[in-house]
Amino acid sequence: MRKIFPAEELARDSRFIRQTNEQRLNDPRGARVAGGNTSENLAKLTPELPNGPDRARALMHGIFVGEIQALEGAGRTCWDFEIGDEVPLALKMDMARQCWDEARHCEISISLAEHMGTELGEYAENGLLYEASCNPDPVLRLTGVNRALEGLAIDVFNTMKEFGNMAGDPVLEFCEDWMLADEVTHVKMGSDWLRRLTQNDKERLDKALEFQKVVDRLFSFNGFRGEDDDSPIQLTRRFRELAGFTDDEIDEIADMSRDARAEATA
Amino acid sequence: MAQVSVKPESFEMVFYDAAVIGEVVSDVAGRLGVDEAITVDIDEASPLGRSKILSYDPIDLWVDGGAFEDTRRPRQFGQSRSRDTIGRLLLRVLDRRSGRFDDAPTDEELDLVQFAAWDVHSVGRLERLGIGGQRKRRLYQFRNRHGFTDVADAAFDELWGSSELSWSEIERISESCRS
Repeated sequence: MRKIFPAEELARDSRFIRQTNEQRLNDPRGARVAGGNTSENLAKLTPELPNGPDRARALMHGIFVGEIQALEGAGRTCWDFEIGDEVPLALKMDMARQCWDEARHCEISISLAEHMGTELGEYAENGLLYEASCNPDPVLRLTGVNRALEGLAIDVFNTMKEFGNMAGDPVLEFCEDWMLADEVTHVKMGSDWLRRLTQNDKERLDKALEFQKVVDRLFSFNGFRGEDDDSPIQLTRRFRELAGFTDDEIDEIADMSRDARAEATA
Repeated sequence: MAQVSVKPESFEMVFYDAAVIGEVVSDVAGRLGVDEAITVDIDEASPLGRSKILSYDPIDLWVDGGAFEDTRRPRQFGQSRSRDTIGRLLLRVLDRRSGRFDDAPTDEELDLVQFAAWDVHSVGRLERLGIGGQRKRRLYQFRNRHGFTDVADAAFDELWGSSELSWSEIERISESCRS
Protein backbone atom coordinates (compact mmCIF):
# COMPACT_ATOMS: atom_id res chain seq x y z
CA MET A 1 0.00 0.00 0.00
CA ARG A 2 1.48 3.33 -0.99
CA LYS A 3 2.45 6.01 1.47
CA ILE A 4 1.32 9.67 1.39
CA PHE A 5 -1.96 9.11 -0.43
CA PRO A 6 -2.76 12.11 -2.71
CA ALA A 7 -5.72 14.30 -1.72
CA GLU A 8 -7.23 14.29 -5.19
CA GLU A 9 -7.61 10.50 -5.08
CA LEU A 10 -9.63 10.27 -1.89
CA ALA A 11 -12.62 7.99 -2.40
CA ARG A 12 -15.95 9.79 -2.58
CA ASP A 13 -19.25 8.75 -4.11
CA SER A 14 -21.16 10.83 -6.64
CA ARG A 15 -22.90 12.90 -3.95
CA PHE A 16 -19.68 14.74 -3.15
CA ILE A 17 -18.18 17.52 -5.27
CA ARG A 18 -14.76 18.90 -4.45
CA GLN A 19 -13.93 22.59 -4.60
CA THR A 20 -10.20 23.28 -4.78
CA ASN A 21 -8.55 25.93 -2.63
CA GLU A 22 -7.77 27.84 -5.80
CA GLN A 23 -11.44 27.92 -6.77
CA ARG A 24 -12.47 28.91 -3.26
CA LEU A 25 -9.92 31.68 -2.86
CA ASN A 26 -10.44 33.01 -6.38
CA ASP A 27 -14.19 33.47 -6.00
CA PRO A 28 -14.56 37.18 -6.83
CA ARG A 29 -17.44 37.43 -4.36
CA GLY A 30 -15.14 36.47 -1.46
CA ALA A 31 -13.95 33.10 -0.20
CA ARG A 32 -16.46 30.78 1.43
CA VAL A 33 -15.43 29.78 4.91
CA ALA A 34 -17.17 28.18 7.87
CA GLY A 35 -20.68 28.40 6.50
CA GLY A 36 -20.45 32.05 5.58
CA ASN A 37 -18.66 34.33 3.22
CA THR A 38 -15.81 36.73 3.75
CA SER A 39 -17.62 39.44 1.80
CA GLU A 40 -20.48 39.53 4.31
CA ASN A 41 -20.68 42.11 7.02
CA LEU A 42 -19.23 40.27 9.97
CA ALA A 43 -21.69 38.98 12.52
CA LYS A 44 -21.44 36.27 15.13
CA LEU A 45 -23.28 33.13 14.05
CA THR A 46 -26.52 33.13 16.03
CA PRO A 47 -30.10 31.94 15.37
CA GLU A 48 -31.20 35.59 15.38
CA LEU A 49 -29.49 36.27 12.04
CA PRO A 50 -31.96 36.03 9.13
CA ASN A 51 -29.73 33.39 7.52
CA GLY A 52 -28.52 31.94 10.85
CA PRO A 53 -30.16 28.50 10.52
CA ASP A 54 -28.96 28.08 6.92
CA ARG A 55 -25.43 29.18 7.82
CA ALA A 56 -25.44 26.67 10.68
CA ARG A 57 -26.52 23.97 8.23
CA ALA A 58 -23.69 24.84 5.84
CA LEU A 59 -21.19 24.94 8.70
CA MET A 60 -22.41 21.56 9.95
CA HIS A 61 -21.81 20.10 6.51
CA GLY A 62 -18.30 21.57 6.56
CA ILE A 63 -17.75 19.91 9.94
CA PHE A 64 -18.96 16.60 8.52
CA VAL A 65 -16.54 16.58 5.57
CA GLY A 66 -13.82 17.79 7.94
CA GLU A 67 -14.45 14.75 10.13
CA ILE A 68 -14.16 12.41 7.16
CA GLN A 69 -10.83 13.99 6.20
CA ALA A 70 -9.61 13.98 9.81
CA LEU A 71 -10.33 10.25 9.93
CA GLU A 72 -8.49 9.74 6.65
CA GLY A 73 -5.57 11.90 7.82
CA ALA A 74 -5.15 10.22 11.21
CA GLY A 75 -5.44 6.83 9.51
CA ARG A 76 -2.70 7.75 7.05
CA THR A 77 -0.45 8.94 9.88
CA CYS A 78 -0.76 5.48 11.42
CA TRP A 79 0.53 4.00 8.16
CA ASP A 80 2.79 6.55 6.50
CA PHE A 81 5.64 6.54 9.07
CA GLU A 82 7.92 3.80 10.38
CA ILE A 83 7.93 3.06 14.11
CA GLY A 84 11.27 3.90 15.65
CA ASP A 85 12.94 5.67 12.74
CA GLU A 86 10.25 8.26 12.21
CA VAL A 87 7.70 8.11 15.03
CA PRO A 88 7.27 6.32 18.35
CA LEU A 89 4.62 3.62 18.70
CA ALA A 90 2.79 5.79 21.22
CA LEU A 91 2.21 8.44 18.56
CA LYS A 92 0.59 5.85 16.29
CA MET A 93 -1.54 4.68 19.20
CA ASP A 94 -2.72 8.25 19.70
CA MET A 95 -3.57 8.48 15.99
CA ALA A 96 -5.44 5.16 16.17
CA ARG A 97 -7.47 6.51 19.09
CA GLN A 98 -8.13 9.67 17.07
CA CYS A 99 -9.40 7.54 14.17
CA TRP A 100 -11.94 6.00 16.53
CA ASP A 101 -13.02 9.48 17.67
CA GLU A 102 -13.26 10.82 14.11
CA ALA A 103 -15.30 7.84 12.95
CA ARG A 104 -17.73 8.49 15.80
CA HIS A 105 -17.79 12.20 14.90
CA CYS A 106 -18.66 11.30 11.29
CA GLU A 107 -21.67 9.35 12.50
CA ILE A 108 -22.73 12.12 14.88
CA SER A 109 -22.31 14.70 12.09
CA ILE A 110 -24.44 12.65 9.71
CA SER A 111 -27.18 12.48 12.35
CA LEU A 112 -26.90 16.21 13.01
CA ALA A 113 -27.08 16.96 9.28
CA GLU A 114 -30.26 14.91 9.12
CA HIS A 115 -31.58 16.76 12.17
CA MET A 116 -30.88 20.11 10.47
CA GLY A 117 -32.36 19.11 7.14
CA THR A 118 -29.11 18.86 5.20
CA GLU A 119 -28.38 16.21 2.59
CA LEU A 120 -24.91 14.67 2.46
CA GLY A 121 -23.06 16.37 -0.37
CA GLU A 122 -25.42 19.36 -0.38
CA TYR A 123 -22.43 21.70 -0.18
CA ALA A 124 -19.07 21.58 -1.97
CA GLU A 125 -16.25 19.83 -0.15
CA ASN A 126 -12.91 21.54 0.39
CA GLY A 127 -9.95 19.23 0.91
CA LEU A 128 -7.68 21.51 2.91
CA LEU A 129 -7.66 19.40 6.07
CA TYR A 130 -6.53 16.26 4.30
CA GLU A 131 -4.02 18.22 2.23
CA ALA A 132 -2.37 19.35 5.47
CA SER A 133 -2.30 15.66 6.41
CA CYS A 134 -0.03 14.93 3.44
CA ASN A 135 2.99 16.70 4.90
CA PRO A 136 5.87 14.21 4.80
CA ASP A 137 7.25 15.31 8.18
CA PRO A 138 5.13 13.80 10.98
CA VAL A 139 5.84 16.76 13.26
CA LEU A 140 4.67 19.28 10.67
CA ARG A 141 1.68 17.09 9.87
CA LEU A 142 0.56 16.87 13.49
CA THR A 143 1.17 20.57 14.02
CA GLY A 144 -0.80 21.60 10.92
CA VAL A 145 -3.65 19.17 11.50
CA ASN A 146 -3.92 18.68 15.26
CA ARG A 147 -2.97 22.15 16.38
CA ALA A 148 -4.12 24.43 13.55
CA LEU A 149 -7.12 22.60 12.08
CA GLU A 150 -8.31 20.72 15.15
CA GLY A 151 -7.73 24.00 16.99
CA LEU A 152 -10.10 25.62 14.53
CA ALA A 153 -12.50 22.76 15.25
CA ILE A 154 -12.48 23.75 18.93
CA ASP A 155 -13.57 27.26 17.95
CA VAL A 156 -16.18 25.98 15.48
CA PHE A 157 -17.67 23.37 17.83
CA ASN A 158 -17.91 25.85 20.65
CA THR A 159 -19.64 28.34 18.33
CA MET A 160 -22.08 25.64 17.21
CA LYS A 161 -22.66 24.52 20.79
CA GLU A 162 -23.58 28.10 21.70
CA PHE A 163 -25.80 28.31 18.61
CA GLY A 164 -27.68 25.20 19.80
CA ASN A 165 -28.00 26.65 23.28
CA MET A 166 -29.38 29.97 21.98
CA ALA A 167 -31.81 28.20 19.63
CA GLY A 168 -33.04 25.91 22.41
CA ASP A 169 -31.83 22.90 20.42
CA PRO A 170 -30.51 20.38 22.96
CA VAL A 171 -29.56 17.84 20.27
CA LEU A 172 -27.12 20.22 18.60
CA GLU A 173 -25.85 21.65 21.87
CA PHE A 174 -25.02 18.34 23.52
CA CYS A 175 -23.58 16.67 20.40
CA GLU A 176 -21.24 19.61 19.84
CA ASP A 177 -20.23 19.57 23.49
CA TRP A 178 -19.28 15.89 23.32
CA MET A 179 -17.28 16.36 20.13
CA LEU A 180 -15.65 19.48 21.55
CA ALA A 181 -14.25 17.40 24.43
CA ASP A 182 -12.60 15.05 21.93
CA GLU A 183 -11.19 17.95 19.90
CA VAL A 184 -9.49 19.37 22.98
CA THR A 185 -7.83 15.98 23.42
CA HIS A 186 -6.73 15.90 19.77
CA VAL A 187 -5.19 19.35 19.98
CA LYS A 188 -3.50 18.41 23.23
CA MET A 189 -2.00 15.36 21.50
CA GLY A 190 -0.66 17.65 18.77
CA SER A 191 0.81 20.04 21.34
CA ASP A 192 2.41 17.22 23.34
CA TRP A 193 3.96 15.48 20.34
CA LEU A 194 5.23 18.74 18.91
CA ARG A 195 7.15 19.42 22.10
CA ARG A 196 8.39 15.85 22.60
CA LEU A 197 9.59 15.28 19.05
CA THR A 198 11.34 18.63 18.76
CA GLN A 199 12.82 18.72 22.25
CA ASN A 200 16.36 18.88 20.86
CA ASP A 201 15.58 20.25 17.43
CA LYS A 202 14.84 23.96 17.48
CA GLU A 203 14.93 24.25 13.69
CA ARG A 204 12.26 21.57 13.25
CA LEU A 205 10.11 23.17 15.96
CA ASP A 206 10.30 26.52 14.19
CA LYS A 207 9.39 24.95 10.86
CA ALA A 208 6.41 23.17 12.42
CA LEU A 209 5.13 26.35 14.07
CA GLU A 210 5.55 28.23 10.80
CA PHE A 211 3.52 25.55 9.01
CA GLN A 212 0.84 25.92 11.68
CA LYS A 213 0.75 29.67 11.06
CA VAL A 214 0.30 29.12 7.32
CA VAL A 215 -2.69 26.88 7.99
CA ASP A 216 -4.11 29.19 10.66
CA ARG A 217 -3.81 32.14 8.30
CA LEU A 218 -6.01 30.36 5.76
CA PHE A 219 -8.88 30.50 8.26
CA SER A 220 -8.40 34.05 9.40
CA PHE A 221 -9.75 35.84 6.30
CA ASN A 222 -11.23 39.17 7.12
CA GLY A 223 -11.26 38.39 10.84
CA PHE A 224 -13.68 35.54 10.31
CA ARG A 225 -12.36 33.58 13.28
CA GLY A 226 -11.37 35.87 16.13
CA GLU A 227 -12.10 37.32 19.55
CA ASP A 228 -14.13 40.33 18.49
CA ASP A 229 -17.85 40.28 19.34
CA ASP A 230 -18.81 40.19 15.67
CA SER A 231 -16.38 37.44 14.64
CA PRO A 232 -18.62 34.72 13.15
CA ILE A 233 -16.45 32.01 14.69
CA GLN A 234 -15.28 32.87 18.18
CA LEU A 235 -11.72 32.09 19.22
CA THR A 236 -12.13 29.91 22.31
CA ARG A 237 -9.36 30.87 24.70
CA ARG A 238 -10.20 28.57 27.63
CA PHE A 239 -10.43 25.34 25.62
CA ARG A 240 -7.24 26.19 23.73
CA GLU A 241 -5.44 26.62 27.05
CA LEU A 242 -6.64 23.16 28.07
CA ALA A 243 -5.31 21.84 24.76
CA GLY A 244 -1.77 23.04 25.43
CA PHE A 245 -1.73 26.47 23.79
CA THR A 246 0.17 29.17 25.66
CA ASP A 247 -1.33 32.62 26.14
CA ASP A 248 1.19 34.00 23.65
CA GLU A 249 0.14 31.48 21.02
CA ILE A 250 -3.54 32.32 21.47
CA ASP A 251 -2.74 36.04 21.36
CA GLU A 252 -0.91 35.44 18.10
CA ILE A 253 -3.96 33.80 16.49
CA ALA A 254 -6.19 36.63 17.71
CA ASP A 255 -3.73 39.19 16.30
CA MET A 256 -3.60 37.32 13.01
CA SER A 257 -7.37 37.63 12.74
CA ARG A 258 -7.34 41.35 13.54
CA ASP A 259 -4.57 41.93 11.00
CA ALA A 260 -6.53 40.03 8.37
CA ARG A 261 -9.58 42.17 9.04
CA ALA A 262 -7.56 45.39 8.91
CA GLU A 263 -6.01 44.25 5.65
CA ALA A 264 -9.41 43.46 4.17
CA THR A 265 -10.90 46.81 5.11
CA ALA A 266 -7.83 48.90 4.16
CA MET B 1 -46.80 32.54 -20.60
CA ALA B 2 -45.15 35.12 -18.37
CA GLN B 3 -42.79 37.60 -20.01
CA VAL B 4 -39.63 37.52 -17.89
CA SER B 5 -36.97 40.19 -17.84
CA VAL B 6 -33.70 39.30 -16.10
CA LYS B 7 -31.21 41.94 -14.95
CA PRO B 8 -28.33 41.95 -15.61
CA GLU B 9 -28.40 40.37 -19.05
CA SER B 10 -24.91 38.92 -18.62
CA PHE B 11 -22.86 37.96 -15.57
CA GLU B 12 -19.22 38.57 -14.67
CA MET B 13 -18.81 36.96 -11.24
CA VAL B 14 -20.98 33.88 -11.58
CA PHE B 15 -21.59 31.45 -14.42
CA TYR B 16 -25.28 32.22 -14.90
CA ASP B 17 -27.18 32.54 -18.15
CA ALA B 18 -30.00 35.11 -18.18
CA ALA B 19 -31.92 33.10 -20.80
CA VAL B 20 -31.85 29.96 -18.65
CA ILE B 21 -32.95 31.94 -15.60
CA GLY B 22 -35.78 33.44 -17.64
CA GLU B 23 -36.95 29.96 -18.65
CA VAL B 24 -36.94 28.73 -15.05
CA VAL B 25 -38.86 31.76 -13.80
CA SER B 26 -41.33 31.46 -16.66
CA ASP B 27 -41.87 27.75 -15.93
CA VAL B 28 -42.48 28.34 -12.21
CA ALA B 29 -44.81 31.24 -12.99
CA GLY B 30 -46.73 29.08 -15.46
CA ARG B 31 -47.20 26.31 -12.90
CA LEU B 32 -48.52 28.84 -10.40
CA GLY B 33 -50.84 30.44 -12.95
CA VAL B 34 -49.00 33.75 -13.13
CA ASP B 35 -49.38 35.06 -16.67
CA GLU B 36 -47.92 38.55 -16.64
CA ALA B 37 -44.63 40.40 -16.92
CA ILE B 38 -42.04 39.59 -14.26
CA THR B 39 -38.74 41.38 -13.67
CA VAL B 40 -35.96 39.66 -11.74
CA ASP B 41 -33.04 41.76 -10.46
CA ILE B 42 -30.00 39.71 -9.44
CA ASP B 43 -27.13 41.01 -7.33
CA GLU B 44 -24.46 38.68 -8.66
CA ALA B 45 -21.84 40.08 -6.26
CA SER B 46 -23.64 38.64 -3.25
CA PRO B 47 -23.35 34.91 -2.49
CA LEU B 48 -26.00 35.23 0.23
CA GLY B 49 -29.48 33.87 -0.29
CA ARG B 50 -31.72 36.85 0.39
CA SER B 51 -34.71 37.72 -1.76
CA LYS B 52 -37.54 40.23 -1.72
CA ILE B 53 -40.42 41.62 -3.71
CA LEU B 54 -39.65 45.13 -4.92
CA SER B 55 -43.05 45.60 -6.50
CA TYR B 56 -46.26 43.56 -6.44
CA ASP B 57 -47.80 45.17 -9.48
CA PRO B 58 -46.02 44.94 -11.83
CA ILE B 59 -44.10 42.02 -10.35
CA ASP B 60 -40.49 42.99 -9.69
CA LEU B 61 -38.36 40.55 -7.71
CA TRP B 62 -34.87 41.03 -6.27
CA VAL B 63 -32.48 38.27 -5.24
CA ASP B 64 -28.90 37.80 -4.09
CA GLY B 65 -26.95 35.78 -6.63
CA GLY B 66 -26.56 33.13 -3.92
CA ALA B 67 -30.31 32.54 -3.94
CA PHE B 68 -29.91 31.03 -7.42
CA GLU B 69 -26.65 29.21 -6.73
CA ASP B 70 -25.96 25.48 -6.74
CA THR B 71 -24.51 24.93 -3.26
CA ARG B 72 -22.65 21.87 -4.55
CA ARG B 73 -20.98 23.90 -7.28
CA PRO B 74 -20.22 27.44 -6.12
CA ARG B 75 -20.79 30.16 -8.75
CA GLN B 76 -22.89 27.78 -10.90
CA PHE B 77 -26.62 28.21 -11.42
CA GLY B 78 -28.79 25.88 -9.33
CA GLN B 79 -32.22 25.07 -10.78
CA SER B 80 -33.89 23.64 -7.69
CA ARG B 81 -32.76 26.46 -5.40
CA SER B 82 -33.91 29.04 -7.96
CA ARG B 83 -37.29 27.38 -8.33
CA ASP B 84 -37.72 27.39 -4.56
CA THR B 85 -36.80 31.09 -4.32
CA ILE B 86 -38.99 32.22 -7.20
CA GLY B 87 -41.85 29.96 -6.14
CA ARG B 88 -41.93 31.41 -2.62
CA LEU B 89 -41.88 34.98 -3.89
CA LEU B 90 -44.60 34.41 -6.47
CA LEU B 91 -46.81 32.58 -3.95
CA ARG B 92 -46.48 35.56 -1.65
CA VAL B 93 -47.63 37.80 -4.49
CA LEU B 94 -50.60 35.51 -5.14
CA ASP B 95 -51.41 35.25 -1.42
CA ARG B 96 -51.48 39.02 -1.02
CA ARG B 97 -53.67 39.38 -4.08
CA SER B 98 -56.12 36.73 -2.86
CA GLY B 99 -57.82 38.86 -0.24
CA ARG B 100 -56.90 36.31 2.44
CA PHE B 101 -53.82 38.35 3.41
CA ASP B 102 -55.28 41.85 3.52
CA ASP B 103 -54.58 42.04 7.24
CA ALA B 104 -50.97 40.83 6.92
CA PRO B 105 -48.16 43.24 7.83
CA THR B 106 -46.13 44.65 4.96
CA ASP B 107 -43.01 42.69 4.00
CA GLU B 108 -40.88 45.26 5.82
CA GLU B 109 -42.94 44.78 8.98
CA LEU B 110 -42.86 40.97 9.00
CA ASP B 111 -40.47 39.55 11.59
CA LEU B 112 -38.35 36.41 11.22
CA VAL B 113 -40.92 34.27 13.06
CA GLN B 114 -43.75 35.38 10.76
CA PHE B 115 -41.63 34.93 7.65
CA ALA B 116 -40.69 31.42 8.77
CA ALA B 117 -44.36 30.45 9.26
CA TRP B 118 -45.46 31.90 5.90
CA ASP B 119 -42.51 30.27 4.12
CA VAL B 120 -43.46 26.86 5.53
CA HIS B 121 -46.98 27.26 4.17
CA SER B 122 -45.57 28.38 0.81
CA VAL B 123 -42.95 25.65 0.41
CA GLY B 124 -45.42 22.96 1.45
CA ARG B 125 -47.67 24.06 -1.42
CA LEU B 126 -44.71 24.27 -3.80
CA GLU B 127 -43.70 20.71 -2.97
CA ARG B 128 -47.16 19.43 -3.82
CA LEU B 129 -46.92 21.27 -7.14
CA GLY B 130 -43.56 19.64 -7.83
CA ILE B 131 -41.71 22.95 -7.68
CA GLY B 132 -39.83 22.99 -4.39
CA GLY B 133 -39.21 20.90 -1.33
CA GLN B 134 -36.56 20.44 1.37
CA ARG B 135 -39.14 19.77 4.06
CA LYS B 136 -36.55 19.03 6.75
CA ARG B 137 -34.63 22.21 6.01
CA ARG B 138 -37.83 24.20 6.49
CA LEU B 139 -38.63 22.28 9.67
CA TYR B 140 -35.22 23.20 11.07
CA GLN B 141 -35.75 26.88 10.24
CA PHE B 142 -39.23 26.75 11.73
CA ARG B 143 -37.95 25.14 14.94
CA ASN B 144 -35.26 27.83 15.24
CA ARG B 145 -37.99 30.47 15.21
CA HIS B 146 -40.73 28.62 17.12
CA GLY B 147 -38.91 26.22 19.40
CA PHE B 148 -37.71 22.64 19.33
CA THR B 149 -40.92 21.18 20.75
CA ASP B 150 -43.62 18.70 19.77
CA VAL B 151 -46.13 21.56 19.72
CA ALA B 152 -44.00 23.46 17.20
CA ASP B 153 -43.63 20.33 15.07
CA ALA B 154 -47.41 19.87 15.01
CA ALA B 155 -47.83 23.51 13.98
CA PHE B 156 -45.28 22.98 11.23
CA ASP B 157 -47.22 19.97 9.92
CA GLU B 158 -50.43 22.00 9.83
CA LEU B 159 -48.79 24.89 7.95
CA TRP B 160 -47.02 22.55 5.55
CA GLY B 161 -50.02 20.38 4.77
CA SER B 162 -52.72 23.04 4.42
CA SER B 163 -53.75 24.19 0.97
CA GLU B 164 -54.88 27.81 1.29
CA LEU B 165 -54.58 29.37 4.70
CA SER B 166 -55.34 33.00 5.41
CA TRP B 167 -52.90 35.31 7.16
CA SER B 168 -54.92 35.18 10.39
CA GLU B 169 -54.80 31.37 10.31
CA ILE B 170 -51.03 31.39 9.79
CA GLU B 171 -50.62 33.82 12.66
CA ARG B 172 -52.86 31.73 14.93
CA ILE B 173 -50.87 28.56 14.22
CA SER B 174 -47.54 30.35 14.61
CA GLU B 175 -48.52 32.06 17.86
CA SER B 176 -49.77 28.78 19.33
CA CYS B 177 -46.26 27.42 19.57
CA ARG B 178 -43.92 30.40 19.94
CA SER B 179 -41.45 29.74 22.72
